[in-house]
Amino acid sequence: MEIKPIFSALMRSKTGPILVAVQVALSLAILANAMHIVSVRQAVAARPTGIANEEEVFNLRVKPLKPGGHEEQLANQKAQAAALRAVPGIVSVADTNQITLSNSGNYNSVAASREQERSNASPSMYVTPDSLVKTWGLKIIDGRDFTPQDAPEIDQNTSKAFPTVALITKATGQKVWPDAPSFVGKKLYYGTGADAREVTVVGVIDTLQTPSAAMGQDGEMSTMVPARITGSSRSLYTLRAEPGQRDRAMKDAEEAIRKLHNGQVVVRTTTQSEERVKRYRADNALCWMLITVSVLLMMVTASGIVGMASLWVTQRRKQIGVRRALGARKLDILRYFVTENLMITTTGIVGGLLGALALNQLLVSKLELARLPAEYMVVGALASWALGIAAVYGPAWRAASISPALATRSA
Amino acid sequence: MIQYYFLLGVRSLRRNPILTALMVLILAVGVAASVSTLTILHVMSGDPIPHKSERLIVPLVDNGPIKGYTPGEREGDEMSYRDAVNLLASGQGDRRTAIRGVDGTIEPARKDLPVFTAEGLSPTRDFFAMFEVPFVHGGPWSEADDKSGADVMVLGGKLAERLFGNANPVGQRVRFRGFDYAVVGVYGNWKPIPRYHRIIGGPGAFGDEDEFYIPFHNAIRHEMGQNGNMNCSSDRGPGYQALLDSECIWIQFWFELHSASDRPQLQAWLDAYAAEQRKLGRLQRNAPNKLFNVMEWLEEQKVVGKDSRLSAMLAFGFLLLCLVNTIGLLLAKFSVRAPEVGVRRALGASRKEIFTQFLIESAVVGLAGGILGLVLALGALALIGSISEQIAVTTHMDWMMLLVTFVMSVSAAMLAGLLPTWRACQVTPALQLKSQ
Repeated sequence: MEIKPIFSALMRSKTGPILVAVQVALSLAILANAMHIVSVRQAVAARPTGIANEEEVFNLRVKPLKPGGHEEQLANQKAQAAALRAVPGIVSVADTNQITLSNSGNYNSVAASREQERSNASPSMYVTPDSLVKTWGLKIIDGRDFTPQDAPEIDQNTSKAFPTVALITKATGQKVWPDAPSFVGKKLYYGTGADAREVTVVGVIDTLQTPSAAMGQDGEMSTMVPARITGSSRSLYTLRAEPGQRDRAMKDAEEAIRKLHNGQVVVRTTTQSEERVKRYRADNALCWMLITVSVLLMMVTASGIVGMASLWVTQRRKQIGVRRALGARKLDILRYFVTENLMITTTGIVGGLLGALALNQLLVSKLELARLPAEYMVVGALASWALGIAAVYGPAWRAASISPALATRSA
Repeated sequence: MIQYYFLLGVRSLRRNPILTALMVLILAVGVAASVSTLTILHVMSGDPIPHKSERLIVPLVDNGPIKGYTPGEREGDEMSYRDAVNLLASGQGDRRTAIRGVDGTIEPARKDLPVFTAEGLSPTRDFFAMFEVPFVHGGPWSEADDKSGADVMVLGGKLAERLFGNANPVGQRVRFRGFDYAVVGVYGNWKPIPRYHRIIGGPGAFGDEDEFYIPFHNAIRHEMGQNGNMNCSSDRGPGYQALLDSECIWIQFWFELHSASDRPQLQAWLDAYAAEQRKLGRLQRNAPNKLFNVMEWLEEQKVVGKDSRLSAMLAFGFLLLCLVNTIGLLLAKFSVRAPEVGVRRALGASRKEIFTQFLIESAVVGLAGGILGLVLALGALALIGSISEQIAVTTHMDWMMLLVTFVMSVSAAMLAGLLPTWRACQVTPALQLKSQ
């Protein structure tokens, strides 16, 4: 091979090659980290909530003009639920205190015993008198769902009553009882000490995210208790419509509630898909920003390689002509420029890999991001090589096409 | 001479149109990426009330349970009702206010408007003077209204217009949560960025303006629930009085000091207060009592998001790449000018003259890049702002950022031009003249 002469030629004028190598290094360092961040964010946004067919689910919030007393609220809740169930196309309705992915919810510390000083976890607590399991299509992997008899009616302004049974997610069970083979039948305590509320776990849900859907295991730490609560200033329902009927059913449901209260009520509806979009909006925005920067990065680097290679081709026109006249084939000229470019990009890639690690170190220490896995560096390096060859191909082909007779004539 | 070099620079933009356009474009893209991310950081980390930010102070006392406490952790960043009431009565500082969120339904008097919900704050009277809320009609409620928790309301401009159109609503009634509130004032365009007066709970640091204000003691008297954050370390028991007696933290407190130098006195007073409460069996953690001024509070609440910092860091990495790219392009552009340099040097121009000329030419490229970069940055900001209203408030460029755009672009171009310019100066006149 002709590596040695190419190398000596490079050594004679270093500035250009160094500039190209630095560009490759910079773009690789940024690219590898940006792609890693994008894939982490997308994995986060792709986590399942546990709710089956989210596109069929919507939520409806009802705010009366005045809260009203316990009995009035109970009557209202039952009338509202009945009105919603009567809407055509509605499969299932459940009263709930909070919505997955809505970012606003209730979190309570739980413990495996009354005596321990520190709680085991702070899972979110869903409260429903109906069956969220049925409405949301949650998967129960052990035990049973609530029955209507499980749910007491509690006025939270006057009563300290608390349900006696609970459903927990697998993640919550594993955090509270790390080694237990089964969580059904275990006693769980909300809080610690003498006032802790004891509940018996009757079932285990495979997955149900919390309203904030935090990163990691915390996002799946949910518990659920059965109760009909009054004393809150609003009611919240989650509904499942028949496939394809959601938007119409949502309008009808809103209308049904308004009619029930003669318009003296504020109703707000959101689809579960909207909650998802809102929850991950910032992550998506960052992903698009990073993808945009990455694309621009590749384009700038490619233009840098094209520009430099073109300059060298112009400068070496005469030499190329001489080489061709002395018997070099078009292929040899092409190979010369591609090899030269490979040597430069490889140097850049080595620098870029080190740069990627350094940038990642900076991001880890300053912004607590995750470590960069080796795959991204490998893929980034391959992409840089491909980009380098693609960018140099045009100028190299032009060099190869130089006619020896024309190029040597003026000499 | 500099003026002449500048004109030469402008003229030479046309000499290699493709090369120059590429250079300007790349510089512009790099500058636009940096400036747009920097603008967001700049707005997010701005001082919302520069002349007063040293004197507005958030106090924090840790009232969490001693059981299971590890020193260094903190119960939360708000205050219990008991502490808030005690601090209001303390007489410390020139002014003081306790703020919490309220929401509820509003029944408009006009029958053509449907019932709707509104969100507002419930502060004490000093709030308006402390945060310099501008009034367009009326003013704050009176001391007496503050004490008695009267049904009075200060409306935000948007809500006032929705309910009463352009008429002056002072003296009118607004039916809120089933009670008739008398409108005492309407505040005008007041939208601090960040919304430092209440970052926790509600719409966040970059949310919309508050729709209305009612007296702190009014919301308590009507037993309104908290709209926002509430942290309870233990079960508080049923009923509203239990909430008021509990150690749940949910109220945002602010002091206004007469001068920033009064801070040690306030600290001493707060320590004495905590010690006194400890004797009563509260605040058993004996954690340090903290004071934060506005900028410290914004820092503590991490108002500038990590994602914004990340974007800015990567954008600057990108600018660096554009800079290296520009060095290469300038090198190419200047290298074909060796004969010209040779002639000038032979006619008596010193190296310094050549250096100045080529550096100014680089600066002209930077200036062009800055103009295009500004357009691109404004476009990028509009695009970023369309993501959500919260982000939109941070995507406004001010004069300072405008200046930064040009300074950044021109200095990047001049920095990139250093090496090519130095190379141009090395041209030996004799060699150049001989080869012509």
